[in-house]
Amino acid sequence: MSRLGIVALQIVTLAVLIGVWEAVARAGVVDPLFVPAPSAVALAFTTVGATALGGLGDTLVKTATAYALSVVLGVGGGLVLGSVPRTREVLNPFVIALYGMPKILVLPWIVLLLGFGTVPAIVYGAMHGFFPILVMVMSAVRDVDPQLVTVARSYGAGTGQLYWKVILPAIVPAVVASMRLGIVFCLLGVLIVEMFAGIRGMGYVLGSLANGFRAAELFAATALVSAASIAIVLSLGALNERLSHWRS
Amino acid sequence: MTVRALQVAVGLLAIVAWELAARASNPLLYVPPSAVLPALRDLLTLRSYPDLVAHLLLTIQEIAVAYGMAVAAGLAVGFGLGLNRTLGRAYGPLLAALYAVPAVVWYPSLMLFFGLDAASKIAFGFLLGFFPITLAVLAGIRQTSPHLILVARAYGASTATTFRKVMLPAMLFTLVGGLRTGLALAVIGVIVGEILGSKNGIGSLINHAYGLSRTPDYVALVLVTLVLIVSTDVVASLLERRARKWTA
Repeated sequence: MSRLGIVALQIVTLAVLIGVWEAVARAGVVDPLFVPAPSAVALAFTTVGATALGGLGDTLVKTATAYALSVVLGVGGGLVLGSVPRTREVLNPFVIALYGMPKILVLPWIVLLLGFGTVPAIVYGAMHGFFPILVMVMSAVRDVDPQLVTVARSYGAGTGQLYWKVILPAIVPAVVASMRLGIVFCLLGVLIVEMFAGIRGMGYVLGSLANGFRAAELFAATALVSAASIAIVLSLGALNERLSHWRS
Repeated sequence: MTVRALQVAVGLLAIVAWELAARASNPLLYVPPSAVLPALRDLLTLRSYPDLVAHLLLTIQEIAVAYGMAVAAGLAVGFGLGLNRTLGRAYGPLLAALYAVPAVVWYPSLMLFFGLDAASKIAFGFLLGFFPITLAVLAGIRQTSPHLILVARAYGASTATTFRKVMLPAMLFTLVGGLRTGLALAVIGVIVGEILGSKNGIGSLINHAYGLSRTPDYVALVLVTLVLIVSTDVVASLLERRARKWTA
């Protein structure tokens, strides 16, 4: 099937799904209290739109802060652990254990420690983003072809030059891949804190809409945050392409 | 000193530092390891939470149902999209886009639909487990060499034989990895669901201990939950190893 045909099939499928959903909801097969019709959801954008956009903005600011923290700490830590074999060997099991530890289990403690609001969301979001970035950068630095390093050194490259001209270009794909992964994790962490103990932000908005049984508004807000995160991931993917040009 | 000895030293140092720091601070926020052991004893002898076993069994049931559904749906959707080119090209990207959304944004809607009881946790565990399984099936089918299938066909193998003798062994490595990731995520999904809002299950106990600032009990419950999580992963890794031996 041609590319156009595929796109047409996607559009038709979505349209049919929405149509069937609308029909089912209108016919009263499902309780509109729990499953509102798509038209009702669209209408709900007008009532909840401003609140949801405000919440989303708040969430995205926290996510960006958490993300900046996890990129700086993760790439920095990854460079250090990747470059110093001895330290890496000793700390590796601890890093893996902390990475693998389900962060949800420490969520109540983080909230207990840091209270409600912005700080726990940023810290918890950064915890989610930090470890995958750290681990991926660490292995990328470790796996840089040692011949490249030796050659650069024997031609008299200083440490700064070595990192800037050899190691950094070699690890760019891993860094970018880890950064793509990291942003979703940061957003996830921030949203979870907001749902669990938020007083603002998208997670809080979603949680309170659900508690208030405002299904149409809840669906509209969920659609909004989903669209935002898909857009973020796609734009990071585009950035990835750009950077791979720079590397070659 | 060997790496192992240094690791033990780092581990011990961390525990001692935590003990000293915790003793000097607010006991409601920081729990020294020496206070965890009595709490763990009280928990395991059913003194602090007499109905621990019932809650644990409920959580395990939720995980089992969620994972069973995720495996069934993941295999069905994965093979459906993987074996049919048109379906795969049309719906694969839609699935990938949904995967870019942090799953927790669906949780308030699930809670609204399914209520605060087990059903919403099962639904969330299912949702988290479903994606890695589906994506692993798709990746596995993609990496099966079409030449092998062509040759098997040319020698008169039926569809069923081709599937069993050629495709399944070729993709098993990826498939089993996806099934393992799916289990890990289904477990996390159920526990996240329980912590974000529930009346029963191990997550509700964690929330209870946190809500009453019974921090040592909270730490003990977290340790018990960790044992549950790690042991499901150990079982999964044993099964994974067996499956891999079968193909080798």
